[in-house]
Amino acid sequence: MVESGKISASQAGKLLYLTVIPTAILTSPAMIFKVAKQDLWISPILAWSGLITVFIALRLHRMFPGENIIQAGERIIGKFLGKMVGLIFPLFYLYLNGIVVREYGEFVVGALLVNTPLIVVLGSMVLVCAIVVRGGIEIVGRFAELFLPAFITLFLLIIVPILPDLNISNMLPVMGEGIAPSLAGTFVLQLWFSEFITYSFILPFVTDQKNAAKSIMFALGAVILTLVVSNLATLLLLGGLTGDYAYPFLILARYINLAEFFTHLESLFMAIWVLGAFVKICAFFYVTVLSAAQWMNLSDYKPIVYPLGFLLILVSLWVAPNYQEMTRAISTSVNLSIFTVFVAIPVLLFGLACVKKAVHKNKNRR
Amino acid sequence: MEKTKRKTVPLLLALSLCTFWLAGCWDQTEVNDLAIITAAGLDLTEDHQLELSIKINVTSSSGAQQMGGSSDPSGGGGGQSIVRSVKGKNMADAASKLQQVMTRKVFWGQDEVFIFGERLAKEGLSEPMNFLLRHPGPRERANLFVSKGSAKAVLELDPPVERSVADALRSMAKERTGLNITMKELAQMMTGKANAAVIPLVEIKHTQKPQDSFPFIHGTAILKNGKMIGRMNAAATRGILWLRNEINRATVTVSPKNSEGTVSVQLLRGQTKLVPHIHGDDWAITAQIDAQDDIIENTTDLDLTNPQHIEVLKSELQADINRRVRTALTQAQKKMKADIFQFADAFYRQYPKEWNRNKGRWDEIYPKVEVRLQTNVKIGKSGLIGQNLF
Repeated sequence: MVESGKISASQAGKLLYLTVIPTAILTSPAMIFKVAKQDLWISPILAWSGLITVFIALRLHRMFPGENIIQAGERIIGKFLGKMVGLIFPLFYLYLNGIVVREYGEFVVGALLVNTPLIVVLGSMVLVCAIVVRGGIEIVGRFAELFLPAFITLFLLIIVPILPDLNISNMLPVMGEGIAPSLAGTFVLQLWFSEFITYSFILPFVTDQKNAAKSIMFALGAVILTLVVSNLATLLLLGGLTGDYAYPFLILARYINLAEFFTHLESLFMAIWVLGAFVKICAFFYVTVLSAAQWMNLSDYKPIVYPLGFLLILVSLWVAPNYQEMTRAISTSVNLSIFTVFVAIPVLLFGLACVKKAVHKNKNRR
Repeated sequence: MEKTKRKTVPLLLALSLCTFWLAGCWDQTEVNDLAIITAAGLDLTEDHQLELSIKINVTSSSGAQQMGGSSDPSGGGGGQSIVRSVKGKNMADAASKLQQVMTRKVFWGQDEVFIFGERLAKEGLSEPMNFLLRHPGPRERANLFVSKGSAKAVLELDPPVERSVADALRSMAKERTGLNITMKELAQMMTGKANAAVIPLVEIKHTQKPQDSFPFIHGTAILKNGKMIGRMNAAATRGILWLRNEINRATVTVSPKNSEGTVSVQLLRGQTKLVPHIHGDDWAITAQIDAQDDIIENTTDLDLTNPQHIEVLKSELQADINRRVRTALTQAQKKMKADIFQFADAFYRQYPKEWNRNKGRWDEIYPKVEVRLQTNVKIGKSGLIGQNLF
C-alpha cells in the first residue's frame, strides 16, 4: 500500500470542493459570459458533467473497493492496456496542475506582485505544496478542512458588502434567447466539473465509506451554489462588461465601498485565491504523485515528490508562452482534453466494467 | 540528544534567515516615497497632444510628522498639494512620462477622481478609458467628470472646507444634485446597447478671493459613440436623473395657478421604472415615475391640511416633474439623438427577439420612440403648520 493515511468522508468532500472552486470563481464568469451572456448564472445549475464523473467515481469504487480508477482500469481491460491508460492520468494531472500553477502565478504577478519574477511565485507555491504532499493524504485533507471556513468567510466578505451596488435589471431578460446559450455555458463549465473525477483517487482512503456518496453530492451542490452566487454577483455588478474583464470577481472586491470605510478590498480576494489555489494544487499534485508511484509499482511515493514538483514548475512554464495563449487554450483544446480524460475514459471504463460483469454473471448462471 | 541538536541548528538558522525577507524591506515603498495622486485631469492641447495633469498630496517626510503612515493633512501643517502636468501622444505615453517630472514614485491606487477637459471629451474618451480600465492602478469606482474649459484649471483649485479638490468633487457627486458616474458605469454606458453616455459637467465658481474659488457640478455632458456631442443645463439634468432613476435629493418650488405665492416641497423618495412596449413598428416607453414629497414652505393661500388643496398641489408637482423630464427628453432624443436613458437596454430586457432583429436600426428608431409619462406624486408631511399664517 503506497498510502497508509486515512481521511474522513467530510474531509474528502471539503477537499473536492476546494479543488474545483478556486479557479472557477476567478475565470469562469468571463468565459461563460462570452457564450451565455446574462444567463451565465444558469449554466452551473445545468452542469451535467459533474454528476457523471461523481457517479462513475462512486460506482467504480463500489465494484472495486479500495482501488482508484487506474487500478480498477487494470482489472477491467487487462494489465497491459490498463497500464497504458493508467499512464495518461499522472501525465494529464501533471499537465493540468501546470496550468493551475501558471494561472495562480500569472494572477498574483499580474494583479499584485507586479515586479516579482513569475518563477519565484510559482516556485514558492510548488515548494510549499510539495511539503504538504509529502505529508500524505491526511495532511492534504486536513488543510482542506482547515481552510474551508476561512475560504467561505472571505467569499462572503466580498459578496455581502457588494450587495448594495448590484443592479437586478442586469440579469434580464432571463433566457431571452432560450436555453441554448446557458447550455453552451455548461460546456465551458465542464472544465471544472469534470475535475470531480479526482474523487476516485481519494475514495480508497475514506474511512466512513457509507457517507462518501453523501459528502461528494454535498460538495457538488456547494460548488454549484458558489458558482451561481459568484456569477450572479459579477453579472449584477458589471452587466455587459463581465466578459471584458480578465478577472471579473476581482473587480467585485475592488468595487466594494461600505460607508467610505471598507474600500480597496482586493487583498481579500488575493487571500481567497492563494488559499484556494493552494488546496487545488496540493490535491492535483497529490494525485499526480500517487498515481505515478502506483504506476511504477513503488513502495513509497515520498521520494518522487520533489522531482515531480520540479517537473511541475517546468510544466507550468511550458504550458503556454503567455497568458493569452493559455486562456485561449483553456477554452478550446484543454477543455476537450479534460473532457476526454476526465469524462470519456472513465465512462468507457465504467461501460466495459458493466458489460464484463453482465457477461460474467451469465457465465456463472450457465 | 545529539541527533535533535543536529536538526535544531539548521532549523533555527533557516528561521532567522526568513526575517530578511519577511521584513518586507526588499520591495519597500514608504508613504513618503510615493506621489499619491488624488485627482487626475486630461486635456487635449492645441497641437493635439494629450496633457495629463495630476494633483498630489505631499506627505511630508521630515519633522514631527514622520511617525504614523499617513498624516492627516488638515491636522498639522502638511496639507500641501501640487499639480504637475505632462504631455504625450496618448494616455499611456503621458502616464509614463509622468514619472520623469516627479521625484517620488507615482501611485495611482488612491486616485478617485478623473476629470476630462471638454475639448478631449469632444475628441473622444475611448482612448483614455482604455488605459484607465486596463491599468490595475485606477479604481473602477473613481468618479468621472467633464470640465467646462480645461481640466487642469479645476485641479489647480484648492477649495476651502474640503481637504482637496478631489474630495470636494466626490462629495458633491455623492450628494446627487447632479449625476454621479463612476468609471465602471461610464464603461458600461460606452459599451452598452445604447452607445450613449452621460458625465457630470464641472464648472469653476470664481469668487473674489481667487484662493476660495471652487468647482461645482453644473449640468451634464452628453456622449455618443464615446464623443461628447452636447451638454445639458442643470434643469434638464434633473430630467435625466428622473429618467435614469438616479434622483436623490431635490427641492421643488411651484407657484400653483389661481393663487399667489409659492409652495416648496422636498423630495423624499423618487423612483422611475421604464416599461417598454412594442406594437408592430411602434416602439414606446412608459416611464412610471413615483415621487414622495414633504412640504417645506407655503406662502400661498392653499390650506395644506385640506385634501382638495393637496390634490391641486399634486397636479402642479406632477406637471413640474413632467416638464423637466420632457426638457431632457426633447434635447436628448430629438436634438442630440443620444440614448442616454438606456432605452435600448429596457427594450432588450423586455423584447430580446424584437431587439435582436432591429438592433441595427436603433439609431433610426430611437428618435421616434414615444415616451409616455405616468407621474404619481405623493405628498407626505406638511410640516408643523398647515395654512400660511401670514
